Amino acid sequence: MTKPRLNTSVEIKDSLQGVPTPTSVRIPIPGKLKPVVKKKQIVGRGQVIAENPTKSAYGVGFEHASIDGMVEDILPDAILIGPIPASKEGEEAPVPARPEPCAELDSLAGEDLCRKLMELGVRTDRLHAARTLIINGLNPEPGVLVSEQLIKDAQDTLKAGLQLLERAIKPGTVKLVVAAGKQLSLHGCTTVTASDAYPATIDPLVMLAATGAERPDNVDIISISDLYRFGRVAETKLPLTEAVVTVGDKVFRVPTGMRVQEVLDAVGLPYGTEWKIALGGPMRGETIFDLGVGVPEECTAITLVPVNLYPAVQPNPCINCGECVLVCPARIQPGMLSRYAEFNMFENARSQHVGACLECGMCTFVCPAQRPVMQYLLLAKGQLAAQDDMVSTCRLQD
Amino acid sequence: MASQDITKNIFTVTSAPLWHCGKTLQSNMIQTLLALLPVAVMAGYKYGFAAVSVMAWAALTAVITEALVQKLMGQEPSADDFSALVDGLLFAFLLPATAPAWMVVVGSAAMVILGRMVFGGYGGSPLCAPAVGWGILAISWPDFMDLNGMLLNWDLIEPLSELKYFGLDAIADVTPVSLLLGEYLGDLGASQAGLVLVAGLYLMARGIVRWFIPVSFLAGVLVTGLVYNLIDPQAYASPVFHLLSGSTLLAAFFLMPYPSSSPAWRLPMLLFGFFGGAMVIIIRTYGIYPDGACFAVLLANLCTPLFDLIQPKPFGGR
Repeated sequence: MTKPRLNTSVEIKDSLQGVPTPTSVRIPIPGKLKPVVKKKQIVGRGQVIAENPTKSAYGVGFEHASIDGMVEDILPDAILIGPIPASKEGEEAPVPARPEPCAELDSLAGEDLCRKLMELGVRTDRLHAARTLIINGLNPEPGVLVSEQLIKDAQDTLKAGLQLLERAIKPGTVKLVVAAGKQLSLHGCTTVTASDAYPATIDPLVMLAATGAERPDNVDIISISDLYRFGRVAETKLPLTEAVVTVGDKVFRVPTGMRVQEVLDAVGLPYGTEWKIALGGPMRGETIFDLGVGVPEECTAITLVPVNLYPAVQPNPCINCGECVLVCPARIQPGMLSRYAEFNMFENARSQHVGACLECGMCTFVCPAQRPVMQYLLLAKGQLAAQDDMVSTCRLQD
Repeated sequence: MASQDITKNIFTVTSAPLWHCGKTLQSNMIQTLLALLPVAVMAGYKYGFAAVSVMAWAALTAVITEALVQKLMGQEPSADDFSALVDGLLFAFLLPATAPAWMVVVGSAAMVILGRMVFGGYGGSPLCAPAVGWGILAISWPDFMDLNGMLLNWDLIEPLSELKYFGLDAIADVTPVSLLLGEYLGDLGASQAGLVLVAGLYLMARGIVRWFIPVSFLAGVLVTGLVYNLIDPQAYASPVFHLLSGSTLLAAFFLMPYPSSSPAWRLPMLLFGFFGGAMVIIIRTYGIYPDGACFAVLLANLCTPLFDLIQPKPFGGR
């Protein structure tokens, strides 16, 4: 077995494709959102099904039904929408109410526009007014082609998104970061080139490439997929109900919440329990155990990896070889930190800068002892965050 | 309804990333064994059955000792990662070919116990295990470890002992090429300088040994050797002689980069290697042992925690 290539830039051959509309979806609901529909309610495509209770203009976007149908179930993390049952004799068939295009989108600006965008389903929590805006045009991970595909096939949508963003947050300068050697550009952006080898494609390192500073203030970064979502809303003036995901070597527009199995069927990719299936790319994707899971709006890929292709992660002891130290873009010692986490020494992990971890997964990728290094680091970060939360709660009670 | 068509199969779940570079401890050790094989064959060809028996005893004892101690400690047996086998073989490469079997067994067991298992196993040791084993034997039974005395059967010279006891004139006809070809006596495996170099370069090309430590170690040997050579060319041997004689090359490619006992950052690795290389020449010049490479490795190992204090700032740090 050869070492997998980490270069993310590819020559895009196919064009952006659609999939048949599914009859039922399972729309993932982020924890912050509150469902606003009831069981058995008839919903139309684009109707709000979960709201963000915040009053602010910046937050996670509302969720909308991506098909016409009936709410079948409301789970803690998802809302199931199925087909409308056949109406009984003599009764009028229920008509799902689809929302009208939002005409005021053209007249709003600033915070009002951000609020409206959030209501239309685009997340605005990473935006701030009047900062430098960087658009990460690099494919996020090897095998995930969304960014370059969208730059190639959705120029108009991206342009519309950019114009919308200019009204919404009035960024100082807009920079587009693309892979070195690629002739890609976007109207109104300064183009900056950067390495396309993972992990150079993750947001903090792209910011470094674009601005020359590590963790700079006054800089926002969004991906091409994010920009595309803004562009879709600007073009249709309708709520966002689709995700753009890479499956295999093609990119598809998929209704939010479409089940992974139906996507794989539509694409014609073989699947079975001899595969690991993840939402996201091969480096940071989250594996799923059940193909009934719906595709989230911000998903960039469905990745399939044969179960036995790569050495399995095991709780082996660290052998101090230092491979992780050399590949770590955050310049910390993942091996040592993973041992602190392994033995519950979280404060030591904090003093050794576990907080600088960028969560790229390179440490686990190279570990010859097959340790779940990043998993340990995430554990330490999670534990420390929970501790800090508890401390601040106690202080508030005093 | 479509949801009934969804398969009920449960899929394998793992933590991210799903990919792995494919290099595991086991595959690295197999590659190392592959690289060491020509050296072992050459040693067998040159010293005959005696060398084969030393290598066999050392490797066998290392693997069995590790398994026994792991049983005692309640650890999972890890003989299948071949790290004990590699350590045993490296240890054998440092011995004279005629070393008595009992000494090889004692040394190999001590190497595994004191060099590896007391620290929790492979990867936990602050010292390079084969060098520890060599050090124990060199101090405990200096007569059996004396290459000149042990290899009297062969009508050749041992360049480092000649240099130590008879001065520069005794090694006047020793050429670098003959050293590379292993035409003189020396440690069983380490004296096959050319093949050790090939093995090291092979591992570096495969990305198993990183270049930082071997290159800086050899640079340390060359620079320090050159300094002495320039001070008095009549009294001190040339740096190339030091580079190719004794166990310098084995130390450069196999003992210095020993994973747990070497630093991890780039600059510390370079300093560590250079320091070790300089120590080789200093020990050979002033020490009582003809070959100081293993002691230099152990000394550098002891300084590893100091080198490791040189750390870059974390990403976005103050």
